[in-house]
Amino acid sequence: MAAVGAWRSEGAARWLFIWPTVLFVLFLSLFPLIASVVISFSRLSFHQGGVDLVFVGFNNYEQELFGLERSHFLGVLNPPGPIGWLVLGLTIALTAIAWTRAVRRGRVGAFGLALRLIGGILLIAWVWILVQALTSEGGRPGALIVTFIFVFVGIALQYTLGLGLALLASQRVPGRRFFRVTFLIPLTITPVGVGYMFLMLTDTSKGPLEPIWVALGLRDFTWVTDPWLARAAVIIGDTWAWTPFVFIVLLAAIEGLDHEIHEAALTDGASHWQSFRHIIFPAILPVSTTIVLIRLIEGFKIVDMPNILLGGGPGTATQSLTLQAWIDWNTLNLGRSAAVAYLLLILVTVVATVYISFVRRRATEYA
Amino acid sequence: MSRLRTIAPAAGLILILSGCSPQASPSPSAEAAASGEPTSAPPAESAAPATAGPQGDKFKGINVNILTFNGPQVAEPLQRRAPDWEQLTGGHVNVVAVGFQTIYDKALLDASTGTNAFDAYVFDPQWLGDFTGPGYLLDITDRVKSDAQLEWDDIGPFFRDFNATYNGKVYTIPLDGDFHMVYYRSDLLDKDGVAPPKTWDDYVAVAQKYHGQDLNGDGEPDYGSCIAKKKGAQSYWWIISVAAGLIQGKGTNDGAFFDTSNMNPLFGPNDAMTKALQMYKKTTEFGPPDELNMDVGGTRGLFTTGRCALTMDWGDIGTLTPGTYAQDKTGATITPGWTEVLDRSTGKLVACDATTCPDAVDGVNYAPFASFGGWSGAINAAAPKEQQDAVYDFLSYMSSPAISGLDVTLGKTGYNPYRTSHFSNLQPWIDAGLSEAAATNYLGAIQASLQNKNMVLDMRIPQTKRYQQDVLDTALAQYLAGELDEAGAEQAIAAGWNQVTDEVGRDQQLAAYVASLGVQR
Amino acid sequence: MRNPFRRRDATDLSPPAKFGAFMLLVAWSMVVLFPIYWLFVTSFKTPYQVDKGPFYVPFVDFTPTLDAWEYILVELGNDTLRPYLNTVIVGLASTTIALAMGSLTAYALVRFVYRPKVALIGAFILSVVVALAVAAFGGPLAVGVAGGVALFVIAAQTVGRRARWTLANSDIAFWLISQRILPPIAVAIPMYVLFQQVGLLDSIVALIIVYVATNLPIVVWLMREYFASLPRELEESAAVDGASAFRIVRSIVLPISVPGLVATFLIVLIFAWNEFLIALVLTSADAQTMPLQVAAQNATRGPQWWAMSVLILIMIAPVIVMALALERYITKGLLVGALKG
Repeated sequence: MAAVGAWRSEGAARWLFIWPTVLFVLFLSLFPLIASVVISFSRLSFHQGGVDLVFVGFNNYEQELFGLERSHFLGVLNPPGPIGWLVLGLTIALTAIAWTRAVRRGRVGAFGLALRLIGGILLIAWVWILVQALTSEGGRPGALIVTFIFVFVGIALQYTLGLGLALLASQRVPGRRFFRVTFLIPLTITPVGVGYMFLMLTDTSKGPLEPIWVALGLRDFTWVTDPWLARAAVIIGDTWAWTPFVFIVLLAAIEGLDHEIHEAALTDGASHWQSFRHIIFPAILPVSTTIVLIRLIEGFKIVDMPNILLGGGPGTATQSLTLQAWIDWNTLNLGRSAAVAYLLLILVTVVATVYISFVRRRATEYA
Repeated sequence: MSRLRTIAPAAGLILILSGCSPQASPSPSAEAAASGEPTSAPPAESAAPATAGPQGDKFKGINVNILTFNGPQVAEPLQRRAPDWEQLTGGHVNVVAVGFQTIYDKALLDASTGTNAFDAYVFDPQWLGDFTGPGYLLDITDRVKSDAQLEWDDIGPFFRDFNATYNGKVYTIPLDGDFHMVYYRSDLLDKDGVAPPKTWDDYVAVAQKYHGQDLNGDGEPDYGSCIAKKKGAQSYWWIISVAAGLIQGKGTNDGAFFDTSNMNPLFGPNDAMTKALQMYKKTTEFGPPDELNMDVGGTRGLFTTGRCALTMDWGDIGTLTPGTYAQDKTGATITPGWTEVLDRSTGKLVACDATTCPDAVDGVNYAPFASFGGWSGAINAAAPKEQQDAVYDFLSYMSSPAISGLDVTLGKTGYNPYRTSHFSNLQPWIDAGLSEAAATNYLGAIQASLQNKNMVLDMRIPQTKRYQQDVLDTALAQYLAGELDEAGAEQAIAAGWNQVTDEVGRDQQLAAYVASLGVQR
Repeated sequence: MRNPFRRRDATDLSPPAKFGAFMLLVAWSMVVLFPIYWLFVTSFKTPYQVDKGPFYVPFVDFTPTLDAWEYILVELGNDTLRPYLNTVIVGLASTTIALAMGSLTAYALVRFVYRPKVALIGAFILSVVVALAVAAFGGPLAVGVAGGVALFVIAAQTVGRRARWTLANSDIAFWLISQRILPPIAVAIPMYVLFQQVGLLDSIVALIIVYVATNLPIVVWLMREYFASLPRELEESAAVDGASAFRIVRSIVLPISVPGLVATFLIVLIFAWNEFLIALVLTSADAQTMPLQVAAQNATRGPQWWAMSVLILIMIAPVIVMALALERYITKGLLVGALKG
């Protein structure tokens, strides 16, 4: 995307278009950022005369990763079961192969190789934690893993549904306009409101679905005591609320495509599916990657749905990272709350960077 | 593009129009007209009940801000009576109501950053530990003792000594009295000749008896016991009610949370805690399937629609039954106790006798838990003096026997009885819809709890929120969900509590804890 | 009457396929609308009716009552109107400003080339930190600012001149979107302190400022995609004719971009309309917004479903109306001619 020569010398516009935004965001983010980092290295202390911030170094971070909060943050990690070992072994093998291939190809410089090596090690460490928590006897995933599950399963569902609905709604079916506006509605409700709404809906004694449970013989059944069902409930609620976001953007993208090629292909005898796969989908791939990135970043901050539906329960089964930070914040444990938030920041920055370098770049090239 | 051009001026117009300022005090004539009186009426003709009469313009021109809970309970009576008080004194009250979760944070932020937007807080007296240390609250000891309007001595001694007093000084005016009781379906128990449960074993037995039967005639099986167990919804108080009778035997000064000699958590690895946890979990067997995700609103709803034989709650159920299925079918009793108690030196349970449980009744050690304490009004020490005087007068007005006597009978206020005078007059209760029998039974249960010398005081030391809302709530939820067993839960609570204690300073916390249990008369 | 599912031309779906598509769309509509219907029905119930169990149809299943509506709209009156107005004002104002600023930035990131030097940025941030540190330790603000500026100027002249490491447009864009990674809870109290220092606590202005800052990244990223797909030829020919960048943007780019602008406007408005945490922390009496009212319906003694339903319904009504009015622009596309991009 080379600059157009005629505009490079247009000094005023160059600065005026970008500086207000940059300065605005910078000034509003700098102080809170620094302050919250300082808070994450300290602890609130109440005493005669006032409230103070006491410096405690890495103590808050230590608690999350190694100390008292470890079982809430990482989870309970036990020796993995056979499946776990298998997955771990596969991961190590594949990562090693990929890295040696990169070395042999010689296209990447030393710095790039070092980065890839670190990335590989991080990946293996991550899988190691995962299998210890999920496939072991008595192991239990902590907020870190639970949040990952929420994000990745959620995004997969939201994107698939959003894309499917966008494709359907761009066909010439009766009532198109009605569908388009209706599908936007879940996004317009404030997240706290969506949480309470789902709480109402899933209530087994006075919710609207109660007759269905009873008819199915599930009168005494409840999803609130099973960790995986509870997580599923959170994901369902989250998907209901956020699919419209993907839907709207993808719909606009599809509508805006130049339909000549699509029509030409169909006239030449290609099926709708083939046209989709080779013409439409590649065209909307750049937008898709942007949307997925935005949902990724927003998704990691999930807090209202698990909080309102279950308070993070049963036990800690649906406690996301931000919810953990919220519980700490609410009991004025500001230091630990900020530490969790910054661990989240580091995590998501890594994920986002990896995503952009590998997925987005390839996708935009492919398009 | 043209659309954008029209949005901007429209937005600007709205900005200008938004001068709708809620702070503008209504003009006196509008006020009087609203209450249906001639505009020039002197204050003596005001419809408000007569109190020891301040002059009509004692606080004229003063505007006080009170921070409290947007219930509508708790804020409702303050908002409803503010105009009456204004009629009497000329001062204007602005009630700022926020969500329950955030009162603590907002109040603390307001005081600690020196913003002082609020002149008073109607909040949880448990937080006195955090607010009095840094000196954020006004000492009102002398005022309350000499206040004729307030009638300080009418307030139940328990609430005077433990809710309002901290470290020997009075900081709050009680507006509400909170503690737990067990409610039962009196129609069912009377019909079957079953006595209301005295011990927790009785409770479970009664729950088991009625679980699965149709208790309200709608053809669906109902539940024996409904207790709110949702995580993150203040459910941690119920376990305290279950465990207290096992842990505290020698009176309120004994305390139920920490060992008074070394601040060791009593909610930790010992037989009492194990037994209490097991009992608590057992009640789930006779409850609704999603009891683990139910908050108090849910269990209350179940009880008033007749679907529970037993439930545990604050005083609210008494005033919420009129108009529901459970009307005149509800009985109340003191929270069940135990026939054993913890020997703190060994960590084992011993039988209840005259030495271990001096206040036991028929061998049962009751320990009614004054959970939460009761909404009380505290005054910002940094507010200007005229504001302090004005808001003190308003809080005193709200707490005065005549005013509070009406408010505690109304379910919508969220205020429960706390004054001796609240119990002596049955008429307001009957007016509120309770039958005479129900009112007598209800008030009797409250009085039995209040007069019990082994009443348990809720935690009131610095960082109480962390002890309860963070550590206890999480460990309890994990236990109920099966993530931890009894030993694991006890260790988690003890370790978590010890961490907080050590962070604040063990000696400091011990002194605060012992002081919070002390009696000052 | 002609078959609504007929095939309109060779490239359209076959009637059975169309019908299938239609049924799927209807199915999802029900998934979307049923909860809303439930809210609607709940808003007409008394607390006792809500507790008793599910009732579905007013007048058939249960007798509806206007209690909740009356409570929210009449009894609470100004306590509902004030947050409502605040939400409208803050939402519209912050979105408009963010859209204006962000679109220009998006355009610049797509058409111009920026090479900010890493060293300069580092020096800038360091200077700001120094200024803040001086202020934090009690020194006069002027000294801090002066010191910071001086430090920056010196650094720029010396290190900045020599440094070669530069960033690119995509880095600026990434920095912008990375502002959204940190959960607001971490910065809630520093924000409180920040606005307290400038005396803007509990004001609409504070909310507008914060929402503009937090939503600018979204505007930039969404509009970037859009502008990137616009054909350059129009702009280039205008440039050749001597038009300034301002002129080009105003008379050529913006008119074609109305669809994208409107779609982004709607999304960002929804974000600002529904934001909860920052509003919670920064406001107390005057500047409260509607999401706080919704959340506050959760009493210690249980959520008040009936009142909450009313609040949610009145909150989403204007946004849906706006979506209805602006829908036709969305269909014209966030991206026109992406294939040509």
